[in-house]
Amino acid sequence: SQRVGEWLRSQHCKMVKDVTLGQHILIEGYDEDNPYVAKVTRLYGDENGQQMKAVVQWFMRVSELPVNKLKLLGREPHPQEIFYYECRNCDNEVNVESILRPVKHLDSNDPFPDSSDKDTLYVKLSWDSKVFGVVNSTVMESPAEPAPASSPPSSTPRGPSRRVLPTPDHAIMQKASLGEVGCSSVGTPANVEAESLHSATKLSASKCLSAKRRNATARTPGVRKRLELSSECSHKDFKMQPLCRTREQQGFLYISNTKSPEVENEKSPMVTETPRSSKRKSAMVVSSRIKKQLNLLENDQDLNSSGEEEDEFVPSKNDLLSSSEEEGQDEDGPNIDDQVSAKKFRYVATGSGNSRSKRKSYSSARTQRRTPAKKISPGTPKTPRHATPSIPIRSLQTQQPANILEEARARLHVSSVPESLPCREQEFQDIYSFVESKIIDNTGGCMYISGVPGTGKTATVHEVIRCLQHAADMDEIPSFHFIEINGMKMTDPHQAYVQILQKLTGQKATPDHAAVLLEKRFSNLAPRKETIVMLVDELDLLWTRKQNVMYNLFDWPTRRHARLVVLTIANTMDLPERIMINRVASRLGLTRMSFQPYSFKQLQEIIMSRLNKLKAFEEDALQLVSRKVAALSGDARRCLDICRRATEICEHSAADPSSTGLVGMSHVMEALNEMFSSAYITAIRCASTQEQLFLRAAIAEFRRLGLEEATFQQVFVQHQALCRIEGLRPIGVSEGLAVCQRLGACRLLLLEPSHLGVLQHIRLNVSQDDIFYALKAD
Amino acid sequence: IIKSRPGARCEFQWPSSVAPGHCVCRHLLELLRRTAIHGESNSVLIVGPRGAGKTMLLQCVLRDLQKEEKVQKNLLQVHLSGLLQTDDRTALKEITRQLHLENVVGDKVFGSFAENLAFLLEALKKGNRSSSCPVLFVLDEFDLFAHHKNQTLLYNLFDVSQSAQAPIAVVGVTCRLDVLELLEKRVKSRFSHRQIHLLSSLNFTQYLERVWTQLSLPDSFPDKKFAQEWNAGVKTLCEDKSVEEVLQRHFNSSKDFRSLHMLLMLCLSRVSVAKPTIKPADLLEASRMCFADATANMLHGLSILELCLVIAIKHLNDVYEGEPFNLQMVHNEFKKFLHRKSNSMYNFEQPVVMKAFEHLQQLELIRPVDGSSAKVQREYQLMRLTLDHSQIMDALQKYPQCPTDVKQWAMSAFG
Repeated sequence: SQRVGEWLRSQHCKMVKDVTLGQHILIEGYDEDNPYVAKVTRLYGDENGQQMKAVVQWFMRVSELPVNKLKLLGREPHPQEIFYYECRNCDNEVNVESILRPVKHLDSNDPFPDSSDKDTLYVKLSWDSKVFGVVNSTVMESPAEPAPASSPPSSTPRGPSRRVLPTPDHAIMQKASLGEVGCSSVGTPANVEAESLHSATKLSASKCLSAKRRNATARTPGVRKRLELSSECSHKDFKMQPLCRTREQQGFLYISNTKSPEVENEKSPMVTETPRSSKRKSAMVVSSRIKKQLNLLENDQDLNSSGEEEDEFVPSKNDLLSSSEEEGQDEDGPNIDDQVSAKKFRYVATGSGNSRSKRKSYSSARTQRRTPAKKISPGTPKTPRHATPSIPIRSLQTQQPANILEEARARLHVSSVPESLPCREQEFQDIYSFVESKIIDNTGGCMYISGVPGTGKTATVHEVIRCLQHAADMDEIPSFHFIEINGMKMTDPHQAYVQILQKLTGQKATPDHAAVLLEKRFSNLAPRKETIVMLVDELDLLWTRKQNVMYNLFDWPTRRHARLVVLTIANTMDLPERIMINRVASRLGLTRMSFQPYSFKQLQEIIMSRLNKLKAFEEDALQLVSRKVAALSGDARRCLDICRRATEICEHSAADPSSTGLVGMSHVMEALNEMFSSAYITAIRCASTQEQLFLRAAIAEFRRLGLEEATFQQVFVQHQALCRIEGLRPIGVSEGLAVCQRLGACRLLLLEPSHLGVLQHIRLNVSQDDIFYALKAD
Repeated sequence: IIKSRPGARCEFQWPSSVAPGHCVCRHLLELLRRTAIHGESNSVLIVGPRGAGKTMLLQCVLRDLQKEEKVQKNLLQVHLSGLLQTDDRTALKEITRQLHLENVVGDKVFGSFAENLAFLLEALKKGNRSSSCPVLFVLDEFDLFAHHKNQTLLYNLFDVSQSAQAPIAVVGVTCRLDVLELLEKRVKSRFSHRQIHLLSSLNFTQYLERVWTQLSLPDSFPDKKFAQEWNAGVKTLCEDKSVEEVLQRHFNSSKDFRSLHMLLMLCLSRVSVAKPTIKPADLLEASRMCFADATANMLHGLSILELCLVIAIKHLNDVYEGEPFNLQMVHNEFKKFLHRKSNSMYNFEQPVVMKAFEHLQQLELIRPVDGSSAKVQREYQLMRLTLDHSQIMDALQKYPQCPTDVKQWAMSAFG
């Protein structure tokens, strides 16, 4: 197991080996096409040596910037442009595991070259989440501290990664031991091979992700470069000064950091329980020294290296990795001296180290020529192909309100944003503190807000967000990202994923793909993420049979790294109990809030605050409106609409000399009547004689039958009798049907489909009393 | 010389005479003008029975509005009909088309429903009260939009009209009085609850006046002499007692101007160069055509056997008080009649009777009872008569050469 550990450690450290301080690197994000960009400022291992960490300075890609802020740039961003990210509250510590590969960058003031090199990024401006700024050159050249002494467990990449530890690979371990010791092989080569194949498949299934990542590393030019260097070095060294070779190889392996333990192992292969710490210390001293050397080497290499070299190398790597038979032969050959075999092993180890399984790395090496282009092209930020549409600009200016009534009407319109939200102070405070605490703690959570329509739920949340945004602007709280979705504004619950993704990143995707991306984003430890505050309006419309949309919405905030605050709004108070299955309701939690319908005092206050000392209404009139609305629904929208209508009526009657110019009781009464009175009575009064007779006939027939329903034929008989009583000429069946259809069209009657003719059933849609009242008053 | 037909004049002119129109007209005009000029978002429903002039009112208001210079270039119009845009998807496409927004996306094939909605909402959201051009949405047959899934379109339109986005006016036109009950509570809350009820409360004298104004020729008519003669003719026509009676009957039946126009058009189509005036007889004839009972007329085309079957059915209905019947019962009833008469003249085979019965079914004079399965043999399938007894008796009176014994059989109380 010791060996396994060593081997695995070496595997893991391979990744880090090509990263130096001050280098720009790509870091794995939730989006495979656009990995994060950052610059390494420090490397260290954490306390227990389990994880390697890197401290980085982040850069923003164009695609990561908020879409609405892009216009601040004032020009088309270059697709390869990145921005120096100045933000205090982001997590600038990353696991080295997540580092993908280094990239080139240019931070000059030169214009963007039109080079097609997709791997070069340009830094021109900085971005502090609010505005763009010019990059401070001193900032850019932040010291690439070699930092052996300064950082406590300084830059000693070591220790198997969390990912690697739990499942040691037996086959590779065996092979390692085979190669290492050469003669002390435990199994026949064929046996080994079969085993390795077997485990390789097992491996690929279980460790797909990490293997993939390593492949990606293997593919990058940087890795190739360094591999080549090392191979050259070692070849040369082997030939010329065999003693020094180990040293060089140590140097090479140092970042992969297998050297020192390996040496120990070579010396005492049977040692299984070596105290690690002692090894560590020595390793540290050695490695820090080696590191300096390596840096020197790399610098040289960087100067000399060119594309041809890389290309030249590819086949050789292929050869190296091509087959395990080769290896087997080598191992079989007894005449090969120890050193060579040891070296061979190291070759193999380095080669295979790039990926967990040989087969994988082989295939990756084979496809590596193709892959770079494919791999990098999606990295270019897509130009917004979705041109934003807009309503044409009006040709004439809008007129400003000319008199008090018009001014009042403008202020009373529901759409006008009030300066403050009166009567919702408590709710405001609750939501504010909830969201604020979550933002400050960098945690996530859900809140459910209910209330009947027009009680200011959405308005309050918007107000909260506005205040928080202001606080964030003033640097009182960390900045956050606000997105809003509305169940009514999408065609299908699953579109929620699409909209969230689009609002978060500007990406477009199908619902399924969007769900996967979001899942990844919220579950992965994605560095430098701001807290996301999400408002989900009209939650009940996101209901699906399996409720997976709701489930995900409430599950994401519970993830450790999600930093997502979800505020949900719906009308019914018991929605979680009524429509949600247990696992969804449980995740929603118990943070509930319900908005009570406004009382008449509150409504009055709302109107007053909107009018803001504008004298347009009489006191009594306002009170009447608010009392009436409070008694009916408590819907503030309704209240405002009535007031608005009252101002119109007042304006019309302004010609009347007795009017004071204020909206009085009479105007409000008229508006109330218009809006609340039912039109049925008037409609019956205005109906033609035969239509009225038909209604009476229907009632007569219902009374006769003792039912609330009759066929047309039955009613028609009554109708003809009534006609005779009234002294009218009885109408024919066709005409009677026409009368009946007309009543049905305005829904005074409820009818069956008309093709049934005289057999269709008839019911009344108004109460019989209403009909009598309407007809008697005639 | 063929003179220009006055019939072409038979179009409806709105604001001239209808009493409630004036106030209502002003309300709507003011509302739309404010949207156009002040950028104030509004929503309104025009409710009234069929033929009350809802669309006419709207067109009239829009016509007046377009005359104002300030409004002319400042109002985009989108006309939708619930009968044409049967779901939100087609409605959105139509809106995008009418707003000419599809040009913005260039050659991009217009994507999914979801994209479409997001696209339109984005477009409306980007606007604001002061700078964007107001959009007028006219939703004809508004009640049908309320049946769309989730009422997404209505919610979004009303939501835009109640938020600080592009100014829009939503005008719904419907004949359902209970239209507000169709709206979901959230949609309802966002609707401004302005309803214009268009109910005609006109009385008979006004109705007569309308007939007169509709028929008379204006002073601007080129042939002055003819116009004078024609108008005099119309005046005498309106004063005629029988004409008044006919018009009264029409008025009693419906105040709908469309049915009046139908009647007057029938009269006018009888006018020719040779006969340049409308005679009261023409009106009576036209009225008779209007009130003609179509199903009763169909009975005239039946064969004697089929007519006998209808009479047998009528007797069965009398006996069993409208319970459904089948062919066997009808045939039995018919055979009883034949037996009594001991007249072999109508002695038909069963298949012939069945054929006649099926013909009645094809004419929809009889209709299978709902839910009666096709498994039942045709002779025993239960049927109902879709005729009223009065219709049968009327038809018998007019049936050409109806045998007297059949007539007597029909008249008799029991078969």
